[in-house]
Amino acid sequence: MEADPRLARRLRLGGLLLGLGLLIEAATLFWPHPTAFLVFLLLGGVLVAAGVFVYLFTIATYPSPRPRADL
Amino acid sequence: MSYFEEALAAVVLVAIALISLVALRPSLSAARGGRILAFLAFLVLPLLATTMGLYAHMEQSKTTEFCLSCHVMEPYGRSLQVDDAAWLPAQHYQNNRIPRDKACFTCHTDYTMFGDVNAKLRGLRHVYVNYLGEIPEKIELYEPYNNRECLHCHAGARTFEESDLHKEMRADLGSNATSCLECHDAVHNVHELEGKPSWKEARP
Repeated sequence: MEADPRLARRLRLGGLLLGLGLLIEAATLFWPHPTAFLVFLLLGGVLVAAGVFVYLFTIATYPSPRPRADL
Repeated sequence: MSYFEEALAAVVLVAIALISLVALRPSLSAARGGRILAFLAFLVLPLLATTMGLYAHMEQSKTTEFCLSCHVMEPYGRSLQVDDAAWLPAQHYQNNRIPRDKACFTCHTDYTMFGDVNAKLRGLRHVYVNYLGEIPEKIELYEPYNNRECLHCHAGARTFEESDLHKEMRADLGSNATSCLECHDAVHNVHELEGKPSWKEARP
């Protein structure tokens, strides 16, 4: 079954933000420096938060499939 | 790599793999199982990884390596290696009276990330000053050193409690009316490091 293109686009955007955010967060753990903590929080954390927001917005605004009347 | 770090790496990798799967095959989310997978991949695992990462950073910021990672702190690191028993931080560090990997945090427990809101804001200011500001010639504590940091270990210790001098001023030491550093005054003294012999740490 093909997904709604709008849903697919939003999931890809959310996934991109989350993946990037998680990679940045993971990379900062190899750098023991105060700046790494700020990058973790202000870059990685913000990207993850944005990705989660896009996902929640998508499921909140996406119409749920109607139950089939003939069942 | 500790078990916690391995678990964190696993959470991040699984999250990225599931996110990629759902994002590249959005039709999966049409089924009930796919929606649960998307919920895990897009919400539960990223939040779990971020929380675990935050904890890992907090733990990392207790390490001596973290504290000495800024150039300006380098002399304070060298003061731990001074070959002089009167040098208070050095004799604590060299004789394992404090854990070497958390030497700074053990005696400065209320600093920046671990202090109150003001301390955290000062920590942010330190990062700004480190890159863009002017680093002061002499670095000083914002507040007088709290005896609590010494008494955390020394209170109740026989050599401390049975010392006649300590007995006389015990109440004042407990209330911070008299600072431990009034007598034990050879602390970091970074401006006196020049020419001081260094202790060579034996590496097992």
